[in-house]
Amino acid sequence: MKTFPVLSAARGGLSGRRVQAIVIGLVLFGSTAASTLALGLLADSSAPFDRAFAAQHGADVTATTTGASPAQLAATTRLPGVTASAGPYPEATVSVTAKVTPSIHVSSGGHAKGTPITLHQQLTLVGRSSPAGPLDDLTLKSGHWASGPGQIVLSSQSGLNLAVGSQITVTGAPGSPKLTVVGVATSVTGTAQGWVTPAEIAALHAAGTPEASQMLYRFSSAGTTAAVNTDIAAVTAALPHGSVLGAQSYLTAKAQATSSVAPWVPFIVAFGLIGLAMSVLIVINVVSGAVVAGTRRIGVLKSIGFSPPQVVAAYVLQVAVPAVVGCVTGAVAGNLVAVPMLGQTAQVYGVGSLGVPFWVNLAVPLAMLGLVGVTAAAIALRAGRMSAVQAIATGRAPRPAHGYGAHRLLGQARLLPRPVSIGLAGPFARPARTLVTLAAIVFGVTTVIFGFGLRTSLDRVQANLSHAASEQVQVFLAGRQGPVVINGHSSAKLSLAAQEHAVQAALRAKPGTLHYVAQADGQISVLGLPDQLSLIGFGGDANWTGYAMIAGHWYSGPGQVDVNTAFLNDTGSAVGDKYTLISGGKHTTVQIAGEVFDPAGGTPEVIGSMSTLSAVDPGLSPSQYQVALAPGTDVGSYVNTLSSALGKGYLVTVNNSGGAVLPAILGLVAALTLLIAVVAGLGVLNTVVLQTRERVHDLGVFKAVGMTPRQTIAMVVSTVAGTGLVAGLIAVPAGVALHRYVLPVMGNAVQTGLPAAVLNVYRPWELVLLALGGLAIAVTGALAPAGWAARTRTASALRAE
Amino acid sequence: MDTLVQLADVSKQYDSDGSPAVADVSMEVARGESVAIMGPSGSGKSTLLNLIAGLDRPSSGAITVGGERVDTLSETGAARYRRRQVGMIFQFFNLLDDMTVFDNVLLPAQLAAMPASQARGRAGELLAALRIGQHKDAYPARLSGGERQRVAIARALVNRPALLLADEPTGALDTATGEAIGELLLDLNSSGQTLILVTHNPDLAARYTRRVIEIVDGRIAGDACVTGAHR
Repeated sequence: MKTFPVLSAARGGLSGRRVQAIVIGLVLFGSTAASTLALGLLADSSAPFDRAFAAQHGADVTATTTGASPAQLAATTRLPGVTASAGPYPEATVSVTAKVTPSIHVSSGGHAKGTPITLHQQLTLVGRSSPAGPLDDLTLKSGHWASGPGQIVLSSQSGLNLAVGSQITVTGAPGSPKLTVVGVATSVTGTAQGWVTPAEIAALHAAGTPEASQMLYRFSSAGTTAAVNTDIAAVTAALPHGSVLGAQSYLTAKAQATSSVAPWVPFIVAFGLIGLAMSVLIVINVVSGAVVAGTRRIGVLKSIGFSPPQVVAAYVLQVAVPAVVGCVTGAVAGNLVAVPMLGQTAQVYGVGSLGVPFWVNLAVPLAMLGLVGVTAAAIALRAGRMSAVQAIATGRAPRPAHGYGAHRLLGQARLLPRPVSIGLAGPFARPARTLVTLAAIVFGVTTVIFGFGLRTSLDRVQANLSHAASEQVQVFLAGRQGPVVINGHSSAKLSLAAQEHAVQAALRAKPGTLHYVAQADGQISVLGLPDQLSLIGFGGDANWTGYAMIAGHWYSGPGQVDVNTAFLNDTGSAVGDKYTLISGGKHTTVQIAGEVFDPAGGTPEVIGSMSTLSAVDPGLSPSQYQVALAPGTDVGSYVNTLSSALGKGYLVTVNNSGGAVLPAILGLVAALTLLIAVVAGLGVLNTVVLQTRERVHDLGVFKAVGMTPRQTIAMVVSTVAGTGLVAGLIAVPAGVALHRYVLPVMGNAVQTGLPAAVLNVYRPWELVLLALGGLAIAVTGALAPAGWAARTRTASALRAE
Repeated sequence: MDTLVQLADVSKQYDSDGSPAVADVSMEVARGESVAIMGPSGSGKSTLLNLIAGLDRPSSGAITVGGERVDTLSETGAARYRRRQVGMIFQFFNLLDDMTVFDNVLLPAQLAAMPASQARGRAGELLAALRIGQHKDAYPARLSGGERQRVAIARALVNRPALLLADEPTGALDTATGEAIGELLLDLNSSGQTLILVTHNPDLAARYTRRVIEIVDGRIAGDACVTGAHR
């Protein structure tokens, strides 16, 4: 086959149809970017911890040692089975205080900044000169690494939600030095709660405590707990007796990550699949439309001597050039967009960092180009097989065989402006193209509806689990064992009863106290349950504490309890049943009054009055008070003054159990929703460009008989507005159904049912607005070509064939 | 003489390097006149018609129709001008194939927001007058060339324009049909319709208009009244 004519024809086609080439490039750009991100998310959702562990050179074992010499520690790195090591890094455990301004839940449903309060915490710090190393590559989330004295990089898993620039005070060290947070980082196995320079550890080291070092190891055999234990034993044996203070296996971190990953995978998979399906649909639509639009030109090429294979080659090439540009730039853009999104996903998964796998970067552009080539070739071949005359006639006057009836019917609609009724009839002329456009918008709006519902559900889940709205303050007792070191000081030796008396008196006296109740937490082994049973006992009326009910009601009488889903699953019981708890010679029969929403990490849980539960756990005793505040009470001020009133020994804190995971998830949901909606809009753009190009002569006629630019825009936008409205109507039940399907799957992943309020999140007026999202996507995608149509010179349009 | 159309030194150049399509054309058309603009292919006659219709904008000069400066109108203004003042008839009819004959005729009236009953009445009246009322529910593809041109004429007249512009109205028709359309245009002019007709056919120009303006290479080469009988 002679190639020069083919190249020439392709070049001519490209230069003659620049708008089409730009649209192809743009759509491939958007679809490739979306598919790269979607496939990257799907790939990373499969075993994200393992990926992150491999990428960050995670340590199989993190050991804390003391009293061993550097030579002895170095010798452990040469043990058989050790494949990599890092350290020794100096390590210290310090008590710190930090002032934080709590974000408090207000009755109107939002959040506000409260009065600053002082947090007290113990942190394990490790001295490292850089985040990188042979093992445990740390992922810096913000700021920079500590480069000098007085600087600390906090772990995102430290529990101290402090921003870069915040200060913490090390209370247990000489001189109570202050450290400035210069960065936040993540270790895939959580090797420390903060990092400082190695020299800083010496300054923070409390007098009289032994110096400690951290060693990190990788072993050739560490796939099971038994294997890891053997490895730890080997290291311990190689060091002086008592040197190894503690050793953490990566499998513990993996188990935690896996359980935290599980609920998020379903929705990320849902978004990923939608993104991929839509991208494929739109690419086929774009390419097929582009080649169909060139049918007349194919006829002209054939009439001057092009063979069918040459015609196919010319058109595949003509479409492939902008497609290649779009795919390459789209893959780059997909990776750039993936960086923050996968960062959020990693935060959601708690694994430090995730990246787009290399095979995704290769497979997506290749698959997209393959799709483009196959589609273009198939359609060009069909046109190439026509006779030249037939192709020219078909291309010159692509009169649709459909749509006449719609024009007629809509022409009767006197309430509609004529340009609008003309536009609304347009989709019926090309039903196949209309269906594809409809499908694209349905995908887009379904995603918007699903994303909206998911956001609302997750907000409610967060509120239900944290109880932050109902239990704004928590007062922790020193407990039976006292004295306990809290705030760096020992508590007075008070009996539990005296502590409770003091707390109750202080709470009653404190203005702003609305409700309070003592809470006891216990764990017992119960006959018939494989896992420990978690007990939560309340010392009074606790139905205000904010537990969401999945079924039944809050316990209200003696012998009644509420349980979580894990309990029902493990015992095979149901709400309304009686169940006998037998533990250590004690037993009690309880009536299951309700199922509460409290996953508790899959641990079975029973909630009831202390008097009911102490029958099976006599040691159950209050450890904290939950406090609800009167509306308008400043939480920070309340906490500070209550803490002063109670004095040392008690920990008074704001219930601020939100964390960074939910914002990361919500950010991810919003970003994915927007991306998919944009790709849907690109599909609409392509459809309208094709329609406008096909009917440019008719456009000239409309303008010649007096259609103004504004009327032209209305007509062009109306060609997809009807499709958008219908798509929105279809998407509402689809999006709601997807939400209803995915949420329980997410709940099942953590062994919990879901309260009705978490599932029933759509209000009727919201659904109406969301359905109009189809119209919004359609109108947005149509505006640019509508503007072009309005600006087209009438005389030029009339001359067009 | 009540001047309806006035062109003053109108030029149109599409390409800055090439020769102008229309160069320094000045002419006037009185209300009720029938004028043929005649010239060979590429002489600029269709360009001149498009300029008068406001379908295109001159590079220089002034065009006034019914006291309104057409050359300075915005696209919206030009569209409104065409609804009010101009009816256009094209060589290849330019009907919309997915609309019925009746809907095609109605379209300019609907775009001009004429009340529906008035518009429908006017359209029906025109179709009857042009003897194509029996085809009102048919689609243009089913009609003969002559019938399609009658539909186009009805569409051009629905808003009672002051000026009727026809670009080679018989160019796509056989002789007999072309004559019938020519007679129709003559009848319209006899009842007071101002007509400007573009043609390359001197016989057509002589038979169906009273004045012929010759245009060669974009410039007026002659402007003469036609004497003698037309029928």
